[in-house]
Amino acid sequence: MTAVDLHVSPLGRVEGDLDLRVTIQDGVVTSAWTEASMFRGFEIILKGKDPQAGLIVTPRICGICGGSHLYKSAYALDVAWGTEMPENATLVRNIAQATETLQSIPKYFYALFAIDLVNKNYAGSPLYEEAVRRFAPYVGEHYQKGVILSNKPVEIYAIFGGQWPHSSFMVPGGVMCAPTLSDVTRSLSILEYWKNEWLEKIWLGCSVDRWLENQTWEDVLAWVDENESQYNSDCGFFIRFCQEVGLDRYGTGVGSYLATGTYFDPSLYAHPTIEARNAALINRSGIYAGGEFFEFDQARVREDVAHSFYEGATPRHPFEGETKPIDPADGKKQDKYSWAKSPRYDVPGKGYVPLEVGPLARRVVAGAPGAAGHQDYDPLFVNVLAAIGPSIMVRQLARMHEAPKYYKWAKEWLGRLDLRESFYRKPVELPDGRGFGGTEAARGALCDWIVLKDGKIENYQVITPTAWNIGPRDGAGVLGPMETAMIGAPIVDPTDPVELGHVARSFDSCLVCTVHAYDGKSGKELSQFVVNGLV
Amino acid sequence: MATVLWLQGGACSGNTMSFTTAEEPSVVDLIVDFGLELLWHPSLGVELGDNARKIFDDVASGARPLDILVFEGTVIQGPNDTGRFNMFAGRPMRDWVNDLASQAQIVVALGDCACWGGVPATEPNPTDSTGLQFHKRAKGGFLGSDFKSKLGLPVVNIPGCPAHPDWITQVIVALASGRAGDIALDELHRPQTFFKSFTQTGCTRVQFFEYKQSTTSFGEGTRTGCLFYEFGCRGPMTHSPCNRILWNRQSSKTRAGMPCTGCTEPEFPFFDLAPGTVFKTQKVSGVVPREVPEGNDHLTYMAHSMAARVAAPQWSKEDMFVV
Repeated sequence: MTAVDLHVSPLGRVEGDLDLRVTIQDGVVTSAWTEASMFRGFEIILKGKDPQAGLIVTPRICGICGGSHLYKSAYALDVAWGTEMPENATLVRNIAQATETLQSIPKYFYALFAIDLVNKNYAGSPLYEEAVRRFAPYVGEHYQKGVILSNKPVEIYAIFGGQWPHSSFMVPGGVMCAPTLSDVTRSLSILEYWKNEWLEKIWLGCSVDRWLENQTWEDVLAWVDENESQYNSDCGFFIRFCQEVGLDRYGTGVGSYLATGTYFDPSLYAHPTIEARNAALINRSGIYAGGEFFEFDQARVREDVAHSFYEGATPRHPFEGETKPIDPADGKKQDKYSWAKSPRYDVPGKGYVPLEVGPLARRVVAGAPGAAGHQDYDPLFVNVLAAIGPSIMVRQLARMHEAPKYYKWAKEWLGRLDLRESFYRKPVELPDGRGFGGTEAARGALCDWIVLKDGKIENYQVITPTAWNIGPRDGAGVLGPMETAMIGAPIVDPTDPVELGHVARSFDSCLVCTVHAYDGKSGKELSQFVVNGLV
Repeated sequence: MATVLWLQGGACSGNTMSFTTAEEPSVVDLIVDFGLELLWHPSLGVELGDNARKIFDDVASGARPLDILVFEGTVIQGPNDTGRFNMFAGRPMRDWVNDLASQAQIVVALGDCACWGGVPATEPNPTDSTGLQFHKRAKGGFLGSDFKSKLGLPVVNIPGCPAHPDWITQVIVALASGRAGDIALDELHRPQTFFKSFTQTGCTRVQFFEYKQSTTSFGEGTRTGCLFYEFGCRGPMTHSPCNRILWNRQSSKTRAGMPCTGCTEPEFPFFDLAPGTVFKTQKVSGVVPREVPEGNDHLTYMAHSMAARVAAPQWSKEDMFVV
């Protein structure tokens, strides 16, 4: 039997470094440890600061999701201060959140994910040459178009917010901007250009509406073969490539999902509260676990630090959350191995479990029954899961499926702006209060919990999608979602484990791998990248 | 062909994300047309595994020449001066910075964090973060005030949270095309061509500033007026070309109604975000701005204000950025 441990350092970078350790037996991953290796202490910095400090500080947690951080931190303050929200403000916030995600979809696909499809591991595939022509970094024809055109949606963000990344233009009570006519017409034009030049011409090979007719996996397969344009689109090619090289067969994960939802119906969230939130959402919140759907309740969230480099024994709700870092050298003696905490959710009847977040989670929750008229109901991915189960390919398709949906929504919201009406109501700045704000960043559920006391921040806790997905084992020894998803991955070449990269990147915890080879039994580092045959 | 190695310390990737929104040149143009050889980048790098680590080792040992080291994020020194809050490829990142900076022809600090510590270094600075050659406004930082790269230059600071993509792409093109000598730095090591002007230079609200007319509120209140008087805008005291080289080719924060937060200056975030300081102008006696435009004093400012208000025409009291 061959047993090898790989230490991949760093594996991904979304909001800090991610290292990965895996044990491989007979060419298949049997266990995994995800290690976030960087700490910045934002929650500590926020203590004692101006109540609005989160609007400036939290976007800087992640430059990729800065607009999403702003969105939920503004809602957390809206709840704490009991603001009144003009309809235009809700629409502008929705538009901004959507354009950040529309930017992320092609940028992530081409710059971070698809470059691995030209890995030499696939050189034997009949589709390899075509993959190189399209996706090779910097020179691939669609790499170039996809990366450059991904800039367009955030031009709309800049029209409303001044710049992307890192604006702070959403404030309690609304937004800072007051768009003019040409701001709206230019935004519409940019959105159409992006849709025509990338989404329809390159990605889909058909109209947005034709793609959205797909309701089942059978429909998707029939769509691929329906005509040459769809067959040869990047979407058609991607599905064929995944089936050819097996990306539809591993990277399964925990199979339980959480979406905290995003985008509000303006008439239903004029007074943001925790209680009114679920019903006002357009992109719904919810949990799917063990084949059942449950309503999302922020009170059921806990953060476990048993294997994280923090002090603290019992899992805490974020309103009572703590962030007390310890030296990793000491932490390692207590079996701690990551700067990420382990978020867990108390699913009724199932206890505290790890849940996967991200586009697939959103798409599964969108298939739950009982959607109100203003809410997204979309059965496609519930069907896909039933038909072929989760995988790298399915996670990726869920992400791409959101592009046509959000494009249509953003266009509709732009059309609904009433330029002669209000965009802001000045709030009363209450000295004390508690607030919860949530959204869906491109890569999943993102929430803030804020406690105000005597006119300053008493406590501030953020749970990012990356923490949900890459968090380490909890106190009960249960693996996090990405750790679980690594198990079963076949590793063709341990010196270049591109398969681990695929799994990690399917969570959009993207980017690079440096690889050290470890002796699986002694844990001793072998000479760099030389894997001894441990027979 | 210039070689570039790009690393991130205590970073959010915001400068990388900003960089990827560049056009003229785009990231692709830089590599394909300008022959930039990106040895490694945390998100755009092609090399994986052994090749990546080998690049760092070879550059650190001097075996592989490096023209430009771009560093994004703070240098993290905690806990207890071990650097272990930020491990990278098996070592504290600060050790890599030390080894790699000494081998580079030019070292570029990209974004506030790398320049002077930025948001992570905000009180109480839990990670003991600092900039490459400054800590806030004080010279020194991680590499020390005497540090010079192989070309004899101090660390070139390109601040901003994030830096605008053009500020870095144009500097890279200048360096790659032999124009290093044209890059004149100010006392904070910022390229003067970008940072001599003020954020206010080119702001669409500058006529309202001229006549001391204030924006009335956020939202529809920003259809008129200047954000300096009530909303804490730092445009007149901040050096950047945000209103000369627009963001995402479209706008700027102040044009869109958001006060400048001064993010190209070492003190950002200002006042350490103390209660009452966010989006609110700090005042003396409840009336006069505590900080007046650079080069003014309170007396001349007040005299100028009084005259300006008297001179203010009717249009300056009405909405200008109308539907």
